[in-house]
Amino acid sequence: MTQHVTRSASGSPDRPYDELDISSRAFWSTSADVREKTFSLLRERGTVTWHPPFQEQLLEDPDDYGFWAVTRYDDLVEVTKRHEDFLSGPGILMENLPAELVEAAQSIIGMDPPRHTKMRRLVAAAFTPKQMRRIDDRIQANARMVVDDLEKALERDGGQTDFVAECAELLPMHNINDIMGVPDGQRQQAAHEMKVGTSWNDPEFVGETKEEVLGRLFQAMTFSHGLATSLAGERRENPTEDLISSLAHAEVDGETLTDEEIGAFFVLLTIAGNDTTRQSTTHGLRALTDYPAQRAWLLDDLEERMPDAVEEIVRWATPIMTFRRTAGRDCQLAGQQITEGDKVVMFYSSANRDESRIERPHELDLSRHPNPHISFGGGGIHHCLGNQLARFQLKALFTELLTRLPDLQAGEPELTPGNFLNVVKRMSCWRQS
Amino acid sequence: MKVHIDTTRCTGHGLCEAVAEDIFEVGDDGMAHLLADPDADRRGEVDQAVAECPTRALSASG
Repeated sequence: MTQHVTRSASGSPDRPYDELDISSRAFWSTSADVREKTFSLLRERGTVTWHPPFQEQLLEDPDDYGFWAVTRYDDLVEVTKRHEDFLSGPGILMENLPAELVEAAQSIIGMDPPRHTKMRRLVAAAFTPKQMRRIDDRIQANARMVVDDLEKALERDGGQTDFVAECAELLPMHNINDIMGVPDGQRQQAAHEMKVGTSWNDPEFVGETKEEVLGRLFQAMTFSHGLATSLAGERRENPTEDLISSLAHAEVDGETLTDEEIGAFFVLLTIAGNDTTRQSTTHGLRALTDYPAQRAWLLDDLEERMPDAVEEIVRWATPIMTFRRTAGRDCQLAGQQITEGDKVVMFYSSANRDESRIERPHELDLSRHPNPHISFGGGGIHHCLGNQLARFQLKALFTELLTRLPDLQAGEPELTPGNFLNVVKRMSCWRQS
Repeated sequence: MKVHIDTTRCTGHGLCEAVAEDIFEVGDDGMAHLLADPDADRRGEVDQAVAECPTRALSASG
């Protein structure tokens, strides 16, 4: 079995820290543009840099002396591909969370081969390019429905409404749950509980004290596992074509999955399915508002230009800002001696702005081609399962939005503090004309 | 040209299928399968699929 250790010795008290701060709550409460100023300085170091642990964590760990920061594009790709040196099993978050919570939520994203290889295959067929084309009609129909509802919300709210709640979070929710087979009504509950489950740094969702936060996080996990168990039970009796049916009947090494394994898969797919494309959509509308000339260029030939525009929106948004690995053995990385147990954190927002691989990285250029962004990962075994789904959805939604509401404007995004997902909690929108 | 898919490595990312869908297809078993031995003039696409494979499961010869 994969080890799920979230608390392990990382580094030693003797290793000196880089002077630049990327560990404080203050740093992670600013915007991506402000953080980029620090990341650009770190990239100039020309190697990976050692930093103290994230401040005031939910779980303080006396053996956790810090992490290596991977801020350069090439280093990130290398860490991603060296999955035997840099493990996912000990946890993929920058912060320490209780092992039970991590076990309940990570599934394949927190596994290493050989278990990862076998488990990932169980879900792979549901997310291939051909499969996306088979369900593209449904994705487009969902996009039409979501924009219908956004128009109604604009009218209901006097011309200005919350783009996140009324649009951005709805399309990914419907599509991932259509794939999994979670009925309407329950899918909204599951999406909400997992929004709570990923908001451990946001008092609005989880409360102030550690007891409150942990209690609320466990409650969210319990809800989702309960729902997954009940749906899997129904599918064992009456199989359908959806992903939960596949998981309910799947065998790995001659054994069916446990309810806990199906539950963890469900949590992972719910989070990865909802909370990434939601961010790309929101940051995307904001970018189109900030750069009207780019919007005008896209509007000139929506169909032809949309595929490249989607790639740039995904780079610009970088919905997942960090993933962690843990050194499985002593090794070298970018000229530094890495010790077994060291935490290694990859900063995707930094790599996506690395001048050495992305030309004019601070410019939004919807015509950028090729676009070697690493928002879906640096190419290793954990490469984003839903990358095709994300692309199909963004294409469908921005086509629908810009055809029907070409002048839709975005207000100032309200950001959730944190170092994992690049979350816009709320963002108002209105039509210019 | 001969293409080999290492079934101990492949996890069905489908990036090969995205490159050349008439050559590669991810099946219900979550692994890529070869639909046809590619002609020599498809070398460029096959090389791209080999290079992009996240699990290094593809190789080509001949």
